Amino acid sequence: MRILALVTDAFGGYGGIARYNCDFLEALAAVSPAHEVRVLARIGEDRPFAVGANLHQDRPVHARVPFALRAIRKTLAWRPDVIYCGHVFHGPLALLLARLSGARLVSQLHGTEVWQPLGRIHLTPLRKSDMVLCVSRDTRARYARQAGSADNAFVLANTVAPAFTPGDRARARARLDLGEAQALLTVSRLDNRDGYKGHDRVIAALPGLHTPDGRPVIYLIAGTGPDGPRLARMADDLGVTDRVRFLGKVPEEDLPDLYRAADLFVLPSIGEGFGIVYLEAMASGTPVLGLTVGGVPDPLSDGELGTLLGPDDDIHHALTALLGREKPDPLELASKVQNRFGIASFRTRVKEACERLLVTNSVPGGLGSIN
Amino acid sequence: MCGINGIYAYNVAAGQPDRAELIATRDAMIARGPDGAGEYWSADGRLGLGHRRLAILDLSDRGAQPMASASGRYRVVFNGEIYNFPDLRRGLEEQGIGFGSRSDTEVLLYLYERHGERMVEHLRGMYAFSIWDETAQTLFLARDPYGIKPLYVADDGWTFRFASQVKALLAGGRIPREAEPAGVVGFHLWGSVPEPFTLYRGIRALPAGHTQLVDRGGPHPPRPFASVSGLLGQGAGQVLPSGDPADLLRPALLDSVRAHLLADVEVGLFLSSGIDSGAILGLMRDAGQEKITAITLAFDEFRGTGDDETSGAAEMAARYGARHVMRHVDEAEFHGDLPAILAAMDQPTIDGINTWFIAKAAREAGLKVALSGVGGDELLAGYPSFTDIPRWAALLRLPSAVPGLPTLFRSAVAALAPTRMPPKAAGLLHYGGSWHGAFFLRRALLLPFELDEVLDPDTIAEGLRRLDPLGQVAAADPVRSGSASTRIAAMESSFYLRNQLLRDVDWAGMAHSIEIRTPLVDSELLRRVAPLTARFSGRAGKLALARSPSLPLPDRLMQKSKTGFSIPSSTWLMAGKDQARQSRSLVSREWARTIMAGWDR
Repeated sequence: MRILALVTDAFGGYGGIARYNCDFLEALAAVSPAHEVRVLARIGEDRPFAVGANLHQDRPVHARVPFALRAIRKTLAWRPDVIYCGHVFHGPLALLLARLSGARLVSQLHGTEVWQPLGRIHLTPLRKSDMVLCVSRDTRARYARQAGSADNAFVLANTVAPAFTPGDRARARARLDLGEAQALLTVSRLDNRDGYKGHDRVIAALPGLHTPDGRPVIYLIAGTGPDGPRLARMADDLGVTDRVRFLGKVPEEDLPDLYRAADLFVLPSIGEGFGIVYLEAMASGTPVLGLTVGGVPDPLSDGELGTLLGPDDDIHHALTALLGREKPDPLELASKVQNRFGIASFRTRVKEACERLLVTNSVPGGLGSIN
Repeated sequence: MCGINGIYAYNVAAGQPDRAELIATRDAMIARGPDGAGEYWSADGRLGLGHRRLAILDLSDRGAQPMASASGRYRVVFNGEIYNFPDLRRGLEEQGIGFGSRSDTEVLLYLYERHGERMVEHLRGMYAFSIWDETAQTLFLARDPYGIKPLYVADDGWTFRFASQVKALLAGGRIPREAEPAGVVGFHLWGSVPEPFTLYRGIRALPAGHTQLVDRGGPHPPRPFASVSGLLGQGAGQVLPSGDPADLLRPALLDSVRAHLLADVEVGLFLSSGIDSGAILGLMRDAGQEKITAITLAFDEFRGTGDDETSGAAEMAARYGARHVMRHVDEAEFHGDLPAILAAMDQPTIDGINTWFIAKAAREAGLKVALSGVGGDELLAGYPSFTDIPRWAALLRLPSAVPGLPTLFRSAVAALAPTRMPPKAAGLLHYGGSWHGAFFLRRALLLPFELDEVLDPDTIAEGLRRLDPLGQVAAADPVRSGSASTRIAAMESSFYLRNQLLRDVDWAGMAHSIEIRTPLVDSELLRRVAPLTARFSGRAGKLALARSPSLPLPDRLMQKSKTGFSIPSSTWLMAGKDQARQSRSLVSREWARTIMAGWDR
């Protein structure tokens, strides 16, 4: 199968979408040596990438028109069997390429792009896709609401990188100089859309919060963004400045230790399409807390792997209860997460997607697929 | 007859299905199967099947479900009856297969082993079933061509669920109750929820005559294998031997009635004074059944009116030597049962109360299985719609095409005669000018422009867009058959019969653990009779039915126009209101609102 992938960024990129694209494209290349994957990216490091023998990414082309022309030339010359559209904004171009070459069209939904109504120009390519990969059940449901049907949806959850494992917690804690304190941790952009990531909900819960045996509770905030100053002011107003630590941007390689050091990963966000950081924390052996909003119930497996709160539940109360509870066995938690979301499971699922793609169109849609 | 359900966590990211959920869904269907319960879990625990049993064939434990094939590779849960199972079984035995039970369930396992998804081409009956293949890790579902037995499915991208009832799926507690605008709008337009929609976005009907395969990748799209309108259309194109149609009809009917008598318990009959149930009674006698219990409902309100079934039914019972049970129902019982009726109603419907009471009476009379004459009017072109629709469409084609006139007419009706005209009259020019529109107009409870009386604008807009009622009707119309009767039979069978009559027969019968069998709704009978359907007009079809028993129906009853099992519901429902001004359709509308207002969402 020849697969031409149109992405904003993948290899040499940064952030959740680039991460996901890399995972997915590598999995595509890995599930069969007969697959050949060519990637056209808009942004990222200005050089070509080769991953193994059958996965290549060209030098990125930032400007829209040259990118489209490159994609068309590539399609006509290389005749791919599948066009992978890594972002809804590439949908119209991807649909054109699929029609030009008779290729199957696979579109990716990362989550939040379907939280607002999509215009027809972006919805039509999704509807006409042979397969729409959705990162979560919530993304699938929101897509179905807009498209009128989920018949071409295929849920492929995010995966977690192998670097995230339980490890030497004492050393990790010493690195952060946590002493006796219990640590809450959030890893996320400091987004200034109102209440989006929920740092403010955690800060507001800090006054009076301590462990049952009276030890202090520290809140570690990793990440940067425009909301930083407001959050600092808020901590000041509530008199908890000494208990909130802004860590800034934490390098990728330091993240596993950061997760291991924390007692609880908290991200009471109302804007997650999936939330890969929950997986990273749990894979590192740290329990997590999230809200039943958006895609979060997926990484937390409806409360089976992590603690889910309703958006209006009392976080202070929940944190008090969780800090008093015995910590789960990190190895057991990590292994449960790996079973469902590890690279091996992810590749199994990608393989199932490829198999399904080969039988689509050979199955006539019945009444069940109307509208 | 039973209740079936299952949960399959096909996606590797999904958690193991919860046993409590499987049992909650299964046991929400206890009325469907009070005689026993079973469950099965695949080796890895990611697939669970549940079954509630109403034992009718092979009453022993060997007939219990989920049932395994000899190799243990396949497991089946099954609701319904396979009427040709003795033949199928004989065929399989000749191929060397040994059977462990005398039930039709076991046949399904070996047909699937042999023919895979195409097994359904061999089946005659009413059925909804699911077969798990432990080796391939696939779940196969199928539903009969008419959609006599219900089957609802839900998929969230991780886990696939199915059950015989919508309410049972909801009882599992894992499916969101978000409203499906197409289902809500559909109910208000038709008076029942049109498949594949339900009231909930997360739950769909597996359409009649479809199969579906679920593998580790998830559910494949439902796949059609038979359609009633397709069979009718094919029949219209066949050349018939000359002679009296009744002579062609008789053996086909007798064959169907005989097939529907297959049981290890007594098979009774719902008897009205109409031709359909009377003819079935005569044919039961012809098929050799000696002991027949026939049940008729009696209402004091109908005494001496044309709606009274009792004297005609008694006459027929006497003529064919049936034990006749006359069951009186009064207003107090109706009001007393109403909460239970609404609780048993799986999806909202404006009908089915008649079936509730006659099934209740059948249960009291000790029956577990009864035949019903439902479907005769569809098969034999008996409804007034068979003459009305072509007439309306011809008459109204021109005026409805004049730009602006339909709207003007609608306003004029609304302004001039709001109380004296039937409420749907305003839509006469909007819809009456085409066959599909005229059919819709006939069967509609509310018309689209009236929906704002009961629903908000967003629900109406989205519901109408997704439902596309006229498009759905058009899809069921075998227009190229060239036969008016065939086309209307197809539309009636695909909407009124499937979504209303058969659904009501299912929930109202099951509420009393009564299996209702429908010898006039049978795909094999349809194959044989469809060429006749195309040629029947007026009362010819029904008269041929009346003359099909070797001892024909009494002449007096043949002359009666359409009767069914009606109940004095309008009187009871509108108690205390000004009844003189309430037309039948206004009562239905009021009743629909009452049902939806009290519906537990």
